[in-house]
Amino acid sequence: MLRNAAIIGCGQTKHSGRRRDVNQAELVSEAVHNALEDAQVSLKEVNALVVGNMQGFGGVANPDLWIGDWIGAPGKPVLRIATGGTTGGSVGQGGFYSVMSGLYDIVVATAWEKHSDSKEAGATTGLLHVALANFFHAFGYGLSMKNLLATSAVGAAAGVAAYQARFYMHRSGCRSEHFDMVAAKARRNAARNKYAHLQWPNCTPEDIHKTELIVDPFRYGHVCPASDGASAIVIACEDIALKKCKRPAWVKGLASYSDEETQMQSESGGGVGVLDPSEQMGARLSAMKAYQQAGIKDPKQEIDVAEIYQPFPSQELLFSEKLGLFDEGKAWIAMEKGETEINGRMPCDPSGGVNATNAIGSSALQRILEAGLQVMGKAEDHQVPKKVRNAVAHGWGGVTNYITVTVLGETPAPRR
Amino acid sequence: MAYLKDQRRETMMVEGSWNIGAYRYKGSTQLQEYVDGLKEKKLIGSLCPGCGKVIVQPRNICGRCHRRMDKRMVVSHKGTITCFVISPPIEKGKYKIIGMDPVEAGVIQEGAILVPVFVRFDGADSNINTILLNCPPEKVHIGMRVKAVFVENPEGKLSDLEGVEPLKE
Ligand SMILES: [Zn+2]
Repeated sequence: MLRNAAIIGCGQTKHSGRRRDVNQAELVSEAVHNALEDAQVSLKEVNALVVGNMQGFGGVANPDLWIGDWIGAPGKPVLRIATGGTTGGSVGQGGFYSVMSGLYDIVVATAWEKHSDSKEAGATTGLLHVALANFFHAFGYGLSMKNLLATSAVGAAAGVAAYQARFYMHRSGCRSEHFDMVAAKARRNAARNKYAHLQWPNCTPEDIHKTELIVDPFRYGHVCPASDGASAIVIACEDIALKKCKRPAWVKGLASYSDEETQMQSESGGGVGVLDPSEQMGARLSAMKAYQQAGIKDPKQEIDVAEIYQPFPSQELLFSEKLGLFDEGKAWIAMEKGETEINGRMPCDPSGGVNATNAIGSSALQRILEAGLQVMGKAEDHQVPKKVRNAVAHGWGGVTNYITVTVLGETPAPRR
Repeated sequence: MAYLKDQRRETMMVEGSWNIGAYRYKGSTQLQEYVDGLKEKKLIGSLCPGCGKVIVQPRNICGRCHRRMDKRMVVSHKGTITCFVISPPIEKGKYKIIGMDPVEAGVIQEGAILVPVFVRFDGADSNINTILLNCPPEKVHIGMRVKAVFVENPEGKLSDLEGVEPLKE
Protein backbone atom coordinates (compact mmCIF):
# COMPACT_ATOMS: atom_id res chain seq x y z
CA MET A 1 0.00 0.00 0.00
CA LEU A 2 1.20 3.48 -0.84
CA ARG A 3 0.14 4.96 2.47
CA ASN A 4 -2.19 4.20 5.34
CA ALA A 5 -5.73 5.41 5.64
CA ALA A 6 -8.31 5.10 8.38
CA ILE A 7 -11.95 5.75 9.09
CA ILE A 8 -12.14 8.60 11.57
CA GLY A 9 -15.88 9.23 11.61
CA CYS A 10 -19.14 7.44 10.87
CA GLY A 11 -22.66 8.70 10.28
CA GLN A 12 -25.95 7.19 9.26
CA THR A 13 -29.63 7.92 9.28
CA LYS A 14 -32.32 6.06 11.13
CA HIS A 15 -33.61 3.45 8.65
CA SER A 16 -37.27 2.91 8.01
CA GLY A 17 -39.67 1.87 5.28
CA ARG A 18 -40.73 5.36 4.35
CA ARG A 19 -38.93 8.65 4.89
CA ARG A 20 -41.48 10.96 3.31
CA ASP A 21 -40.12 13.93 5.27
CA VAL A 22 -36.94 14.11 3.18
CA ASN A 23 -35.92 13.84 -0.46
CA GLN A 24 -32.83 11.88 -1.49
CA ALA A 25 -30.49 14.84 -1.07
CA GLU A 26 -31.78 15.68 2.38
CA LEU A 27 -31.52 12.04 3.42
CA VAL A 28 -27.88 11.80 2.29
CA SER A 29 -27.00 15.09 3.94
CA GLU A 30 -28.15 13.73 7.31
CA ALA A 31 -25.66 10.87 7.11
CA VAL A 32 -22.82 13.06 5.80
CA HIS A 33 -23.28 15.66 8.49
CA ASN A 34 -23.48 13.02 11.22
CA ALA A 35 -20.20 11.55 9.92
CA LEU A 36 -18.47 14.94 9.79
CA GLU A 37 -19.62 15.72 13.31
CA ASP A 38 -18.41 12.34 14.53
CA ALA A 39 -15.01 12.94 12.90
CA GLN A 40 -14.83 16.54 14.11
CA VAL A 41 -14.05 17.56 10.53
CA SER A 42 -15.57 20.59 8.82
CA LEU A 43 -16.93 20.53 5.27
CA LYS A 44 -14.09 22.88 4.30
CA GLU A 45 -11.48 20.29 5.24
CA VAL A 46 -12.98 17.62 2.96
CA ASN A 47 -10.93 17.30 -0.25
CA ALA A 48 -13.16 15.01 -2.29
CA LEU A 49 -16.27 12.83 -2.15
CA VAL A 50 -17.15 9.35 -3.36
CA VAL A 51 -20.89 8.75 -3.64
CA GLY A 52 -23.31 6.11 -4.91
CA ASN A 53 -26.64 4.34 -4.84
CA MET A 54 -27.98 1.36 -6.77
CA GLN A 55 -28.28 2.38 -10.40
CA GLY A 56 -31.82 3.31 -11.40
CA PHE A 57 -33.35 2.96 -7.94
CA GLY A 58 -35.33 5.71 -6.28
CA GLY A 59 -36.56 7.13 -9.57
CA VAL A 60 -33.63 9.54 -10.05
CA ALA A 61 -31.24 8.62 -12.83
CA ASN A 62 -28.16 10.58 -11.75
CA PRO A 63 -28.64 11.71 -8.16
CA ASP A 64 -24.97 12.64 -7.93
CA LEU A 65 -25.66 15.53 -10.32
CA TRP A 66 -28.14 16.92 -7.88
CA ILE A 67 -27.18 16.18 -4.28
CA GLY A 68 -23.86 18.05 -4.36
CA ASP A 69 -25.26 21.21 -2.78
CA TRP A 70 -26.50 19.24 0.19
CA ILE A 71 -23.26 17.48 1.05
CA GLY A 72 -20.70 20.17 0.48
CA ALA A 73 -19.53 18.85 -2.86
CA PRO A 74 -19.58 21.92 -5.14
CA GLY A 75 -16.11 22.78 -6.34
CA LYS A 76 -14.74 19.44 -5.17
CA PRO A 77 -13.96 16.26 -7.07
CA VAL A 78 -16.86 13.81 -6.89
CA LEU A 79 -16.76 10.20 -8.03
CA ARG A 80 -19.99 8.24 -8.37
CA ILE A 81 -19.75 4.47 -8.19
CA ALA A 82 -22.59 2.02 -8.79
CA THR A 83 -22.01 -1.74 -8.73
CA GLY A 84 -25.47 -3.07 -7.87
CA GLY A 85 -25.84 -4.52 -4.39
CA THR A 86 -22.15 -3.97 -3.71
CA THR A 87 -22.41 -0.23 -4.48
CA GLY A 88 -21.69 0.79 -0.89
CA GLY A 89 -18.72 -1.57 -0.68
CA SER A 90 -17.29 -0.10 -3.85
CA VAL A 91 -18.01 3.47 -2.68
CA GLY A 92 -16.12 2.76 0.56
CA GLN A 93 -13.24 1.16 -1.30
CA GLY A 94 -13.21 4.06 -3.78
CA GLY A 95 -12.82 6.38 -0.82
CA PHE A 96 -9.97 4.28 0.57
CA TYR A 97 -8.20 4.22 -2.80
CA SER A 98 -8.54 8.02 -3.02
CA VAL A 99 -6.68 8.50 0.26
CA MET A 100 -4.28 5.55 0.08
CA SER A 101 -3.11 6.64 -3.36
CA GLY A 102 -2.08 9.99 -1.94
CA LEU A 103 -4.51 11.94 -4.14
CA TYR A 104 -6.50 13.33 -1.21
CA ASP A 105 -6.06 13.61 2.55
CA ILE A 106 -9.67 13.67 3.73
CA VAL A 107 -12.46 12.03 1.75
CA VAL A 108 -16.13 11.48 2.52
CA ALA A 109 -17.69 8.27 1.16
CA THR A 110 -21.46 8.15 1.24
CA ALA A 111 -24.04 5.72 -0.11
CA TRP A 112 -27.81 5.52 0.17
CA GLU A 113 -31.11 4.21 -1.08
CA LYS A 114 -34.56 5.71 -0.89
CA HIS A 115 -36.79 2.83 -1.90
CA SER A 116 -40.02 4.56 -0.97
CA ASP A 117 -39.61 7.06 -3.80
CA SER A 118 -40.73 4.23 -6.08
CA LYS A 119 -44.37 3.27 -5.72
CA GLU A 120 -43.47 -0.38 -5.33
CA ALA A 121 -40.36 -0.14 -3.24
CA GLY A 122 -37.34 -1.34 -5.16
CA ALA A 123 -39.44 -3.37 -7.52
CA THR A 124 -40.06 -0.94 -10.32
CA THR A 125 -37.38 1.19 -11.88
CA GLY A 126 -34.43 -0.57 -10.36
CA LEU A 127 -35.21 -4.21 -10.87
CA LEU A 128 -36.78 -3.60 -14.26
CA HIS A 129 -33.52 -1.98 -15.26
CA VAL A 130 -31.61 -5.07 -14.13
CA ALA A 131 -34.09 -7.31 -15.94
CA LEU A 132 -33.80 -5.33 -19.15
CA ALA A 133 -30.07 -5.58 -19.10
CA ASN A 134 -29.93 -9.24 -18.26
CA PHE A 135 -32.60 -11.33 -19.85
CA PHE A 136 -34.97 -9.34 -22.00
CA HIS A 137 -32.90 -10.24 -25.03
CA ALA A 138 -34.05 -13.83 -24.43
CA PHE A 139 -37.52 -12.82 -25.67
CA GLY A 140 -35.82 -12.54 -29.03
CA TYR A 141 -35.14 -16.28 -28.80
CA GLY A 142 -38.68 -17.28 -27.91
CA LEU A 143 -38.55 -17.19 -24.12
CA SER A 144 -42.15 -17.96 -23.20
CA MET A 145 -44.04 -15.80 -20.77
CA LYS A 146 -45.11 -18.96 -18.95
CA ASN A 147 -41.56 -20.11 -18.40
CA LEU A 148 -40.42 -16.67 -17.34
CA LEU A 149 -43.30 -16.22 -14.91
CA ALA A 150 -42.97 -19.71 -13.49
CA THR A 151 -39.27 -19.44 -12.84
CA SER A 152 -39.24 -15.83 -11.70
CA ALA A 153 -42.75 -15.37 -10.22
CA VAL A 154 -41.89 -17.97 -7.69
CA GLY A 155 -38.66 -16.34 -6.81
CA ALA A 156 -40.08 -12.80 -7.01
CA ALA A 157 -38.85 -11.62 -3.64
CA ALA A 158 -36.13 -14.16 -3.19
CA GLY A 159 -34.75 -14.56 -6.72
CA VAL A 160 -31.55 -16.43 -7.13
CA ALA A 161 -31.03 -16.51 -3.34
CA ALA A 162 -33.62 -19.28 -2.93
CA TYR A 163 -31.72 -21.53 -5.34
CA GLN A 164 -28.45 -20.54 -3.71
CA ALA A 165 -29.89 -21.46 -0.31
CA ARG A 166 -31.00 -24.89 -1.55
CA PHE A 167 -27.53 -25.64 -2.92
CA TYR A 168 -26.03 -24.62 0.42
CA MET A 169 -28.52 -26.74 2.38
CA HIS A 170 -27.74 -29.77 0.29
CA ARG A 171 -24.01 -29.30 0.57
CA SER A 172 -23.86 -28.47 4.29
CA GLY A 173 -26.80 -30.36 5.78
CA CYS A 174 -28.33 -27.18 7.21
CA ARG A 175 -32.14 -26.88 7.26
CA SER A 176 -34.72 -24.13 6.93
CA GLU A 177 -34.92 -23.96 10.77
CA HIS A 178 -31.39 -22.62 10.77
CA PHE A 179 -32.54 -19.74 8.58
CA ASP A 180 -35.17 -19.03 11.28
CA MET A 181 -32.33 -18.82 13.81
CA VAL A 182 -30.20 -16.44 11.73
CA ALA A 183 -33.17 -14.16 10.96
CA ALA A 184 -34.24 -14.07 14.62
CA LYS A 185 -30.70 -13.17 15.64
CA ALA A 186 -30.63 -10.37 13.03
CA ARG A 187 -33.85 -8.86 14.39
CA ARG A 188 -32.69 -9.17 18.02
CA ASN A 189 -29.36 -7.55 17.18
CA ALA A 190 -31.15 -4.82 15.22
CA ALA A 191 -33.16 -4.05 18.34
CA ARG A 192 -29.86 -3.03 19.96
CA ASN A 193 -28.91 -0.82 16.99
CA LYS A 194 -30.80 2.47 17.07
CA TYR A 195 -30.32 3.03 13.33
CA ALA A 196 -31.67 -0.38 12.21
CA HIS A 197 -35.00 -0.98 10.46
CA LEU A 198 -36.58 -4.30 11.53
CA GLN A 199 -36.04 -4.24 15.28
CA TRP A 200 -37.60 -7.06 17.25
CA PRO A 201 -36.32 -7.51 20.80
CA ASN A 202 -36.40 -11.12 22.01
CA CYS A 203 -37.37 -12.42 18.56
CA THR A 204 -37.22 -16.23 18.55
CA PRO A 205 -36.75 -18.71 15.71
CA GLU A 206 -40.34 -19.83 16.41
CA ASP A 207 -41.57 -16.27 15.72
CA ILE A 208 -39.88 -16.40 12.32
CA HIS A 209 -41.13 -19.90 11.64
CA LYS A 210 -44.74 -18.72 12.03
CA THR A 211 -44.42 -16.31 9.09
CA GLU A 212 -45.87 -17.20 5.70
CA LEU A 213 -43.94 -19.31 3.21
CA ILE A 214 -42.83 -17.32 0.13
CA VAL A 215 -41.07 -20.10 -1.68
CA ASP A 216 -39.72 -23.17 0.04
CA PRO A 217 -37.11 -22.84 1.71
CA PHE A 218 -37.83 -19.12 2.42
CA ARG A 219 -40.47 -17.53 4.65
CA TYR A 220 -41.40 -13.85 4.86
CA GLY A 221 -39.54 -13.65 8.14
CA HIS A 222 -36.33 -14.62 6.35
CA VAL A 223 -36.35 -11.73 3.92
CA CYS A 224 -34.77 -8.30 4.36
CA PRO A 225 -36.94 -5.18 4.25
CA ALA A 226 -36.69 -2.39 1.65
CA SER A 227 -35.34 0.52 3.68
CA ASP A 228 -34.83 4.23 3.22
CA GLY A 229 -31.48 5.28 4.60
CA ALA A 230 -27.96 6.55 4.06
CA SER A 231 -24.54 6.01 5.55
CA ALA A 232 -21.28 7.93 5.38
CA ILE A 233 -17.70 7.56 6.54
CA VAL A 234 -14.89 10.08 6.80
CA ILE A 235 -11.56 8.67 5.62
CA ALA A 236 -8.24 10.33 6.47
CA CYS A 237 -4.57 9.74 5.74
CA GLU A 238 -2.32 8.53 8.57
CA ASP A 239 -1.07 11.93 9.84
CA ILE A 240 -4.52 13.41 10.04
CA ALA A 241 -6.11 10.26 11.43
CA LEU A 242 -3.59 10.20 14.29
CA LYS A 243 -4.15 13.89 14.99
CA LYS A 244 -7.94 13.88 14.78
CA CYS A 245 -8.97 10.53 16.19
CA LYS A 246 -8.10 8.65 19.35
CA ARG A 247 -9.02 5.26 17.96
CA PRO A 248 -9.28 5.23 14.17
CA ALA A 249 -10.30 2.11 12.23
CA TRP A 250 -7.32 1.43 9.96
CA VAL A 251 -7.85 0.02 6.49
CA LYS A 252 -5.70 -3.09 6.43
CA GLY A 253 -6.86 -4.89 3.32
CA LEU A 254 -9.42 -4.50 0.54
CA ALA A 255 -10.31 -6.46 -2.56
CA SER A 256 -13.15 -7.01 -4.98
CA TYR A 257 -13.62 -9.84 -7.47
CA SER A 258 -16.18 -10.68 -10.11
CA ASP A 259 -16.87 -14.34 -10.81
CA GLU A 260 -18.31 -14.75 -14.28
CA GLU A 261 -19.48 -18.22 -13.54
CA THR A 262 -21.96 -17.07 -10.89
CA GLN A 263 -23.43 -14.33 -13.08
CA MET A 264 -27.15 -14.18 -13.69
CA GLN A 265 -28.32 -14.76 -17.23
CA SER A 266 -26.67 -12.21 -19.45
CA GLU A 267 -26.13 -11.48 -23.08
CA SER A 268 -22.93 -13.53 -22.91
CA GLY A 269 -25.02 -16.56 -21.98
CA GLY A 270 -23.92 -17.02 -18.39
CA GLY A 271 -26.70 -18.94 -16.63
CA VAL A 272 -28.24 -18.38 -13.21
CA GLY A 273 -25.28 -19.70 -11.30
CA VAL A 274 -24.17 -21.99 -14.08
CA LEU A 275 -22.67 -24.53 -11.72
CA ASP A 276 -23.50 -23.74 -8.11
CA PRO A 277 -24.67 -20.26 -7.02
CA SER A 278 -23.56 -21.00 -3.47
CA GLU A 279 -19.94 -21.56 -4.50
CA GLN A 280 -19.15 -17.81 -4.61
CA MET A 281 -15.55 -18.03 -5.69
CA GLY A 282 -15.41 -14.22 -5.82
CA ALA A 283 -15.88 -14.07 -2.07
CA ARG A 284 -13.13 -16.61 -1.45
CA LEU A 285 -10.70 -14.75 -3.73
CA SER A 286 -11.55 -11.32 -2.28
CA ALA A 287 -11.10 -12.57 1.28
CA MET A 288 -7.77 -14.24 0.50
CA LYS A 289 -6.44 -11.07 -1.13
CA ALA A 290 -7.66 -8.75 1.63
CA TYR A 291 -6.29 -11.00 4.41
CA GLN A 292 -2.95 -11.22 2.66
CA GLN A 293 -2.71 -7.42 2.55
CA ALA A 294 -3.74 -7.24 6.20
CA GLY A 295 -1.11 -9.79 7.24
CA ILE A 296 -3.84 -12.13 8.49
CA LYS A 297 -2.86 -15.78 8.22
CA ASP A 298 -5.66 -17.45 10.20
CA PRO A 299 -8.94 -15.53 9.93
CA LYS A 300 -10.61 -17.95 12.38
CA GLN A 301 -8.25 -16.67 15.10
CA GLU A 302 -7.44 -13.17 13.94
CA ILE A 303 -10.84 -11.81 12.89
CA ASP A 304 -12.89 -10.78 15.91
CA VAL A 305 -16.16 -9.72 14.32
CA ALA A 306 -17.75 -9.89 10.87
CA GLU A 307 -20.30 -7.73 9.08
CA ILE A 308 -21.63 -9.93 6.28
CA TYR A 309 -23.97 -8.86 3.48
CA GLN A 310 -26.93 -11.16 4.18
CA PRO A 311 -30.27 -10.02 2.76
CA PHE A 312 -31.21 -13.70 3.20
CA PRO A 313 -30.15 -15.69 6.27
CA SER A 314 -28.58 -18.48 4.21
CA GLN A 315 -26.07 -15.89 3.01
CA GLU A 316 -24.71 -15.12 6.46
CA LEU A 317 -23.92 -18.81 6.81
CA LEU A 318 -22.41 -19.49 3.41
CA PHE A 319 -20.48 -16.23 3.12
CA SER A 320 -19.00 -16.57 6.62
CA GLU A 321 -17.44 -19.80 5.32
CA LYS A 322 -16.16 -18.10 2.15
CA LEU A 323 -14.59 -15.45 4.39
CA GLY A 324 -12.68 -18.23 6.12
CA LEU A 325 -14.37 -17.73 9.49
CA PHE A 326 -15.67 -21.31 9.59
CA ASP A 327 -14.88 -24.52 7.74
CA GLU A 328 -16.89 -25.23 4.58
CA GLY A 329 -20.43 -26.34 5.44
CA LYS A 330 -19.92 -25.84 9.17
CA ALA A 331 -21.15 -22.29 9.87
CA TRP A 332 -24.65 -23.40 10.83
CA ILE A 333 -23.23 -25.75 13.47
CA ALA A 334 -21.24 -22.88 15.01
CA MET A 335 -24.36 -20.72 14.83
CA GLU A 336 -26.37 -23.42 16.65
CA LYS A 337 -23.78 -23.24 19.45
CA GLY A 338 -24.24 -19.47 19.72
CA GLU A 339 -20.80 -18.63 18.33
CA THR A 340 -22.19 -15.96 15.98
CA GLU A 341 -24.18 -14.08 18.66
CA ILE A 342 -22.99 -10.64 19.78
CA ASN A 343 -21.28 -12.23 22.78
CA GLY A 344 -20.17 -15.31 20.84
CA ARG A 345 -16.74 -16.41 19.68
CA MET A 346 -17.24 -15.04 16.14
CA PRO A 347 -20.05 -12.47 16.18
CA CYS A 348 -21.67 -12.14 12.73
CA ASP A 349 -23.69 -9.02 11.96
CA PRO A 350 -24.01 -7.62 15.49
CA SER A 351 -25.72 -4.62 13.84
CA GLY A 352 -28.51 -6.87 12.52
CA GLY A 353 -26.97 -6.64 9.07
CA VAL A 354 -28.72 -6.38 5.72
CA ASN A 355 -31.31 -8.91 6.88
CA ALA A 356 -32.69 -6.25 9.24
CA THR A 357 -31.89 -3.10 7.23
CA ASN A 358 -31.57 -2.92 3.47
CA ALA A 359 -31.15 0.46 1.86
CA ILE A 360 -29.52 -1.35 -1.05
CA GLY A 361 -26.89 1.13 -2.26
CA SER A 362 -25.94 1.87 1.33
CA SER A 363 -25.95 -1.70 2.62
CA ALA A 364 -22.39 -2.71 1.74
CA LEU A 365 -21.00 0.64 3.00
CA GLN A 366 -22.89 0.03 6.22
CA ARG A 367 -20.98 -3.23 6.62
CA ILE A 368 -17.72 -1.23 6.43
CA LEU A 369 -19.13 1.45 8.73
CA GLU A 370 -20.34 -1.10 11.28
CA ALA A 371 -17.02 -2.97 11.19
CA GLY A 372 -15.39 0.43 11.76
CA LEU A 373 -17.63 1.16 14.76
CA GLN A 374 -16.64 -2.17 16.31
CA VAL A 375 -12.93 -1.39 15.88
CA MET A 376 -13.39 2.14 17.23
CA GLY A 377 -15.43 0.83 20.18
CA LYS A 378 -18.36 3.05 19.21
CA ALA A 379 -21.07 0.50 18.43
CA GLU A 380 -22.87 1.32 21.69
CA ASP A 381 -25.48 -1.33 22.57
CA HIS A 382 -24.35 -3.73 19.84
CA GLN A 383 -20.63 -3.39 20.59
CA VAL A 384 -19.18 -6.89 20.90
CA PRO A 385 -17.96 -7.52 24.46
CA LYS A 386 -14.34 -8.29 23.56
CA LYS A 387 -11.24 -6.66 22.17
CA VAL A 388 -11.61 -6.04 18.44
CA ARG A 389 -8.27 -6.26 16.71
CA ASN A 390 -9.63 -6.95 13.24
CA ALA A 391 -13.09 -6.77 11.70
CA VAL A 392 -14.11 -7.93 8.23
CA ALA A 393 -16.81 -6.27 6.07
CA HIS A 394 -18.34 -8.01 3.06
CA GLY A 395 -20.57 -7.00 0.14
CA TRP A 396 -22.44 -9.12 -2.42
CA GLY A 397 -23.96 -7.71 -5.59
CA GLY A 398 -23.27 -6.89 -9.19
CA VAL A 399 -25.55 -9.34 -10.98
CA THR A 400 -25.04 -11.88 -8.17
CA ASN A 401 -21.39 -12.22 -9.22
CA TYR A 402 -19.54 -9.35 -7.56
CA ILE A 403 -17.95 -9.24 -4.11
CA THR A 404 -16.20 -6.64 -1.96
CA VAL A 405 -14.20 -7.52 1.16
CA THR A 406 -12.58 -4.96 3.47
CA VAL A 407 -10.50 -5.64 6.58
CA LEU A 408 -10.31 -2.94 9.25
CA GLY A 409 -8.17 -3.07 12.36
CA GLU A 410 -6.91 -1.26 15.43
CA THR A 411 -3.43 -0.86 13.92
CA PRO A 412 -2.35 -0.25 10.30
CA ALA A 413 -1.37 -3.24 8.17
CA PRO A 414 2.24 -4.41 8.50
CA ARG A 415 4.53 -2.77 5.94
CA ARG A 416 5.71 -5.06 3.20
CA MET B 1 -29.78 23.33 3.30
CA ALA B 2 -32.84 23.08 5.48
CA TYR B 3 -34.49 25.41 3.01
CA LEU B 4 -36.41 22.79 1.00
CA LYS B 5 -37.18 20.69 4.04
CA ASP B 6 -38.84 23.64 5.72
CA GLN B 7 -40.89 24.43 2.65
CA ARG B 8 -42.28 20.96 2.12
CA ARG B 9 -42.98 18.54 4.90
CA GLU B 10 -43.48 15.53 2.65
CA THR B 11 -42.45 14.18 -0.73
CA MET B 12 -45.05 14.32 -3.51
CA MET B 13 -46.16 11.37 -5.63
CA VAL B 14 -46.45 11.80 -9.38
CA GLU B 15 -48.51 8.96 -10.87
CA GLY B 16 -47.84 7.73 -14.36
CA SER B 17 -46.58 4.96 -16.56
CA TRP B 18 -43.88 5.18 -19.13
CA ASN B 19 -43.48 3.12 -22.25
CA ILE B 20 -39.87 2.01 -22.51
CA GLY B 21 -40.43 1.06 -26.13
CA ALA B 22 -37.67 -1.21 -27.34
CA TYR B 23 -34.06 -1.87 -26.47
CA ARG B 24 -31.43 -3.01 -28.93
CA TYR B 25 -29.32 -6.06 -28.18
CA LYS B 26 -26.78 -8.01 -30.10
CA GLY B 27 -27.82 -11.21 -28.39
CA SER B 28 -25.52 -14.16 -28.40
CA THR B 29 -25.03 -16.41 -31.40
CA GLN B 30 -24.54 -19.23 -28.89
CA LEU B 31 -28.14 -18.76 -27.80
CA GLN B 32 -29.17 -18.99 -31.46
CA GLU B 33 -27.27 -22.28 -31.79
CA TYR B 34 -29.01 -23.54 -28.67
CA VAL B 35 -32.52 -22.75 -29.90
CA ASP B 36 -31.67 -24.17 -33.33
CA GLY B 37 -30.79 -27.37 -31.44
CA LEU B 38 -34.08 -27.31 -29.55
CA LYS B 39 -35.87 -27.35 -32.90
CA GLU B 40 -34.31 -30.80 -33.44
CA LYS B 41 -35.00 -31.69 -29.79
CA LYS B 42 -31.27 -31.56 -29.13
CA LEU B 43 -29.67 -30.00 -26.04
CA ILE B 44 -26.45 -28.33 -27.17
CA GLY B 45 -23.55 -27.30 -24.96
CA SER B 46 -19.99 -26.07 -25.40
CA LEU B 47 -16.82 -27.81 -24.21
CA CYS B 48 -14.04 -25.95 -22.41
CA PRO B 49 -10.60 -27.11 -23.57
CA GLY B 50 -9.16 -25.85 -20.28
CA CYS B 51 -11.24 -27.49 -17.56
CA GLY B 52 -13.18 -29.96 -19.68
CA LYS B 53 -16.55 -28.67 -18.52
CA VAL B 54 -19.55 -28.86 -20.80
CA ILE B 55 -21.84 -25.85 -20.37
CA VAL B 56 -25.44 -26.01 -21.60
CA GLN B 57 -26.63 -23.64 -23.10
CA PRO B 58 -23.33 -23.03 -24.89
CA ARG B 59 -21.26 -19.98 -24.08
CA ASN B 60 -18.25 -18.70 -25.96
CA ILE B 61 -15.77 -18.20 -23.09
CA CYS B 62 -15.33 -20.36 -20.00
CA GLY B 63 -16.25 -18.37 -16.87
CA ARG B 64 -13.28 -19.79 -14.99
CA CYS B 65 -10.52 -20.56 -17.52
CA HIS B 66 -11.39 -17.71 -19.89
CA ARG B 67 -10.66 -19.97 -22.82
CA ARG B 68 -12.70 -20.11 -26.00
CA MET B 69 -15.28 -22.88 -26.01
CA ASP B 70 -15.49 -23.61 -29.73
CA LYS B 71 -16.39 -27.27 -29.57
CA ARG B 72 -20.08 -28.24 -29.38
CA MET B 73 -21.49 -31.25 -27.53
CA VAL B 74 -24.98 -32.72 -27.55
CA VAL B 75 -26.02 -33.83 -24.08
CA SER B 76 -28.66 -36.34 -22.99
CA HIS B 77 -32.37 -35.71 -22.52
CA LYS B 78 -31.99 -37.49 -19.20
CA GLY B 79 -30.68 -35.59 -16.24
CA THR B 80 -30.60 -35.06 -12.49
CA ILE B 81 -32.23 -32.38 -10.36
CA THR B 82 -29.53 -30.38 -8.56
CA CYS B 83 -31.74 -27.73 -6.98
CA PHE B 84 -35.43 -26.96 -6.51
CA VAL B 85 -37.73 -24.47 -4.85
CA ILE B 86 -41.45 -24.93 -4.20
CA SER B 87 -44.04 -22.19 -4.44
CA PRO B 88 -47.08 -21.96 -2.21
CA PRO B 89 -50.36 -22.23 -4.18
CA ILE B 90 -50.28 -19.29 -6.60
CA GLU B 91 -52.98 -16.75 -5.79
CA LYS B 92 -54.34 -14.05 -8.03
CA GLY B 93 -53.03 -10.59 -7.17
CA LYS B 94 -50.08 -11.83 -5.15
CA TYR B 95 -47.17 -11.69 -7.57
CA LYS B 96 -46.32 -9.18 -10.22
CA ILE B 97 -43.56 -9.86 -12.67
CA ILE B 98 -42.61 -7.07 -15.05
CA GLY B 99 -45.99 -5.55 -14.28
CA MET B 100 -47.99 -8.72 -15.01
CA ASP B 101 -50.03 -10.96 -12.76
CA PRO B 102 -49.36 -14.53 -13.95
CA VAL B 103 -52.87 -15.72 -13.01
CA GLU B 104 -54.61 -12.78 -14.66
CA ALA B 105 -52.42 -13.20 -17.73
CA GLY B 106 -53.66 -16.79 -17.92
CA VAL B 107 -50.23 -18.44 -17.92
CA ILE B 108 -50.51 -19.99 -14.47
CA GLN B 109 -53.67 -21.56 -13.03
CA GLU B 110 -54.95 -20.20 -9.74
CA GLY B 111 -53.97 -22.55 -6.92
CA ALA B 112 -51.18 -24.24 -8.89
CA ILE B 113 -47.99 -25.13 -7.02
CA LEU B 114 -44.89 -24.52 -9.11
CA VAL B 115 -41.61 -26.32 -8.74
CA PRO B 116 -38.78 -24.50 -10.54
CA VAL B 117 -35.72 -26.73 -10.71
CA PHE B 118 -32.10 -26.77 -11.82
CA VAL B 119 -31.37 -29.79 -14.00
CA ARG B 120 -27.96 -31.13 -14.94
CA PHE B 121 -28.47 -33.16 -18.08
CA ASP B 122 -26.20 -36.21 -18.42
CA GLY B 123 -23.01 -35.11 -20.12
CA ALA B 124 -23.32 -31.50 -18.92
CA ASP B 125 -21.57 -29.78 -16.00
CA SER B 126 -23.97 -26.85 -15.77
CA ASN B 127 -27.60 -26.45 -14.80
CA ILE B 128 -30.65 -25.43 -16.78
CA ASN B 129 -33.32 -23.55 -14.83
CA THR B 130 -36.70 -24.98 -15.84
CA ILE B 131 -39.97 -26.33 -14.39
CA LEU B 132 -40.75 -29.78 -12.98
CA LEU B 133 -43.89 -31.17 -14.64
CA ASN B 134 -46.13 -34.16 -13.95
CA CYS B 135 -44.85 -34.69 -10.42
CA PRO B 136 -46.43 -34.06 -7.01
CA PRO B 137 -44.38 -31.31 -5.29
CA GLU B 138 -43.70 -33.44 -2.20
CA LYS B 139 -41.85 -35.99 -4.37
CA VAL B 140 -39.15 -33.62 -5.63
CA HIS B 141 -35.64 -34.10 -4.25
CA ILE B 142 -32.04 -33.38 -5.17
CA GLY B 143 -30.67 -36.31 -7.13
CA MET B 144 -34.06 -37.07 -8.67
CA ARG B 145 -33.79 -38.44 -12.21
CA VAL B 146 -35.78 -36.57 -14.85
CA LYS B 147 -36.11 -36.27 -18.60
CA ALA B 148 -36.69 -33.31 -20.87
CA VAL B 149 -40.23 -32.54 -22.04
CA PHE B 150 -40.43 -30.82 -25.41
CA VAL B 151 -43.45 -29.24 -27.07
CA GLU B 152 -44.97 -31.34 -29.82
CA ASN B 153 -43.77 -29.18 -32.68
CA PRO B 154 -40.59 -27.36 -31.73
CA GLU B 155 -40.02 -24.13 -33.62
CA GLY B 156 -36.52 -23.19 -32.51
CA LYS B 157 -37.54 -21.19 -29.45
CA LEU B 158 -36.50 -21.27 -25.80
CA SER B 159 -40.10 -22.29 -25.04
CA ASP B 160 -39.59 -25.54 -27.01
CA LEU B 161 -38.26 -27.05 -23.78
CA GLU B 162 -41.37 -27.09 -21.60
CA GLY B 163 -39.69 -28.55 -18.56
CA VAL B 164 -38.70 -31.91 -17.16
CA GLU B 165 -40.66 -34.84 -15.73
CA PRO B 166 -39.78 -37.81 -13.54
CA LEU B 167 -37.85 -40.56 -15.31
CA LYS B 168 -38.44 -44.20 -14.56
CA GLU B 169 -35.17 -46.09 -15.13
ZN1 LIG C 1 -12.84 -23.93 -18.35
